Amino acid sequence: MTLTVLHSGTQTLIMDAGRPGHRHQGIPGGGAADKLSFAIANHLVGNRWDTPALECALGGLHIRFEKDHVIALSGAQMWSQNQGLNLPLNKAVPVEAGDILTMSFTRAGCRAYLAIAGGIEAEPFMGSVSTYMPAKLGGLDGEALKTGAVLRIGPKQDDPQSLPKGHTPILSNHVVLRAQQGPEWDALSDSAKCYLFTTPFYATAATDRMGTRLKGDQLTLETPVNMTSSPLLPGSLQVPPDGQPILALVDGHCTGGYARALQVIQADLWLLGQIAPGAAVSFRRSLAEDAMVVLRHKNSFYADLISGFSF
Amino acid sequence: MTAQTHLPKIIPYGDHAMLVDWSSSEFSEAINDTVHALAAKLRQSGKYREIVPGYDSLVCVFDLAARTGDTTKRHIEDILKQNLSGKAEVGQIVEIPVHYAGENGPDMERICAASKLSVDDVIASHSGETYRVCMMGFIPGFTFLSPAPKALHHPRLETPRAKVPAGSVGIANWQTGIYGLESPGGWQIIGRTPLSIFDSNRETPFLLNAGDRVRFIPQ
Repeated sequence: MTLTVLHSGTQTLIMDAGRPGHRHQGIPGGGAADKLSFAIANHLVGNRWDTPALECALGGLHIRFEKDHVIALSGAQMWSQNQGLNLPLNKAVPVEAGDILTMSFTRAGCRAYLAIAGGIEAEPFMGSVSTYMPAKLGGLDGEALKTGAVLRIGPKQDDPQSLPKGHTPILSNHVVLRAQQGPEWDALSDSAKCYLFTTPFYATAATDRMGTRLKGDQLTLETPVNMTSSPLLPGSLQVPPDGQPILALVDGHCTGGYARALQVIQADLWLLGQIAPGAAVSFRRSLAEDAMVVLRHKNSFYADLISGFSF
Repeated sequence: MTAQTHLPKIIPYGDHAMLVDWSSSEFSEAINDTVHALAAKLRQSGKYREIVPGYDSLVCVFDLAARTGDTTKRHIEDILKQNLSGKAEVGQIVEIPVHYAGENGPDMERICAASKLSVDDVIASHSGETYRVCMMGFIPGFTFLSPAPKALHHPRLETPRAKVPAGSVGIANWQTGIYGLESPGGWQIIGRTPLSIFDSNRETPFLLNAGDRVRFIPQ
């Protein structure tokens, strides 16, 4: 059971839940940048939530199915068609041998997830097939899919499912992230502290799975930060001396040397995967006691639906 | 190890991590030992998603749905109350062959000029130390070592290179280290090892781990 990549698109990667627990060796957890949409796509086709699927950034992926399959698309609102017929998001649909699926461009969000019943088969490294391009790990030879690649599909796991109303994540080109103070918050000037939570930033073209350089009001530091290289996490907003912040994403460096001003809360980390170049990014202050309530609420909202998944 | 270390700050790093920070003004072996001893204890507990040691800090990532920052902070404080000094494991001693200077060390001349040492003196000085592996990161296999001899200290390049070859040995301020993979980078490169620090096809992908000792052998 295979499918053929007719056009690889902007960047299409094989992803699963990643390889957490190795940041001390310089290996980021990685995996699907938007784990919620990835889990939903798998759930819909009857896969375990962490089954390998395709992460298609900004569109352009064309594939031909060589056998009958059940597929589902979740995540970014990507204009997608099978044999010229529009495909719905967040719904399991059958496709037939010879069908050609085209994913064109995104109207909201950045990454669409294409799950296929049975999942994509690939060679794992450190327990995960997720592609990590900087070290050429996982995926097919550690790289983005290339035109002409042939992917193997695993055996069917379970029957397709549907998504109850209200469980569809709403994505927008204005990504609002709840965040708390990072360790070097106090090094920021008063104006920077104010700007961070009141004015939107824009994701520049320097946006990939490692991070996004934001543009917005100049953030100044009250005291120069002269740090020794120190651990850095996905969802950390660093402020370098030039005042234009960098948001670390799912494949971000494991250490950094700039002031860590903000940290996105655990419940919102999945949204980091949906920041497209050009998107607006705003930060909202999250209070310590609220973050846990929000997280528990979100976990329980999906717990009955997607077995084993949590934010 | 008899050196005493001051107590670190233990502060939230967002809602799902705690930062333990000794923020020492200069490198301290005693602090780095304590960092790794604490990391080992936290890892043994199996309660955390990531334990990331630094030179003089450690980040402990937890699942906020399972435990709070306060619980995590108390756990860290309890471990620090035990006498951790001297308990850091000393890893293997690894000899790293290095081709210094020339095309392998494009910044050697700059280091010579700044230190007023000859190439041979810089090589003798840099390879005369036994370094400890203080931390790994920021990409797989990047090896952060204990300080280089003082005469060799030099700031990073003003404009980072787009590509530094894998195996490059460099200096950034007092830090010296090895690029595990080809990557962009701003360290002053004085040599290069033919050994692969990180090779995903090898049975043990990492040649070095934090706590190991490294000696450079000029080729």
